[in-house]
Amino acid sequence: MRLMRASGIIKRPVVTMRGDDIAQVKDIVYAAHGGEVGGFTLAGRGMFAGPMKLGLAWQAVVALGADAVMISDESALEATSVVFDAAATGRGGGDVLGSQVLTDSGVDLGLVIDVIIAVSETPGGKCDVVGYEIEASEALGTKGTKLLIPLPDTIAASAEHLMVPASAKDFVSHDLAGFGASVKAFRAQLYGPV
Amino acid sequence: MRFSEATGRQVVSTATADTVGRVDDFVVDPRRRAVVALSLKRTDGGDTLLWTDIVAFGSDAVTVTSGDKIVDAAPAIVALSGKEHRLIGKRVLTAGGDDIGTVDDIEFDADTGTITSLLLAAGDVAGARLVGVGSYAVVVRPK
Repeated sequence: MRLMRASGIIKRPVVTMRGDDIAQVKDIVYAAHGGEVGGFTLAGRGMFAGPMKLGLAWQAVVALGADAVMISDESALEATSVVFDAAATGRGGGDVLGSQVLTDSGVDLGLVIDVIIAVSETPGGKCDVVGYEIEASEALGTKGTKLLIPLPDTIAASAEHLMVPASAKDFVSHDLAGFGASVKAFRAQLYGPV
Repeated sequence: MRFSEATGRQVVSTATADTVGRVDDFVVDPRRRAVVALSLKRTDGGDTLLWTDIVAFGSDAVTVTSGDKIVDAAPAIVALSGKEHRLIGKRVLTAGGDDIGTVDDIEFDADTGTITSLLLAAGDVAGARLVGVGSYAVVVRPK
């Protein structure tokens, strides 16, 4: 499992196995009510800069690496509408930015500034949303600092609030390096060890 | 042998002992992981010498039976030529989407034309791992 910030994926080139960059990521399309990455909307590169009518479904991604989104060839792209339909998005991921994270005990943890995703290393694996980067509230002690909070498999979300279990605040992390273990420990105490 | 040391080498006819061209660039077929032709500095006959028409790729000269072997590039060779298909200086991506550096030089087998390794600052990548060479990157399989 490999963790990355959703913001870092924006503008990453989409490269075929032949080594051609045929697009770049414009935005992330979330699926499963924001719990997974369903695919990407794309923009052209170089001479073809600007939005494209084609998108990329997560199933067609060979690998999401630190520097590129790898696909087999051009045929991996499909109409953006198809990507959106497949994702049947409940709530877009982009618009969680700025939302307030509340615990089920009614404590404000802070505002979402980024989404943390986990990429499965096995081909055909999911691309899971595992946490948010938040600008911490007073409840977390250090107001204004950036913290990573783990998420359960599914969360309740409205236009203003994202509801997380109260125990989430016991599993915050300061950097991505330690966050994988936090997510694991947090989910283990919610659902039992995997 | 390396691309860097082989570039500029003279091409000599075994029939007349004349220098009939000079190596300018290498045309690589990523599918075969091999050099399939040499691009030469422009001569009267053309600018392409197919690997199969080379008698020997020696340490001092490339030999051919005759200058007639230097021809205009066929469409299949043109499709593998040009900046988009050059390996030297291009970024290297793994099939996993990670940037591992830039191709500094290529090591190839002078007998067969097979690419034996890609030389990067971070270390050598076996030629057998080569997957594609495109406008953006050279793609290699993970170890």
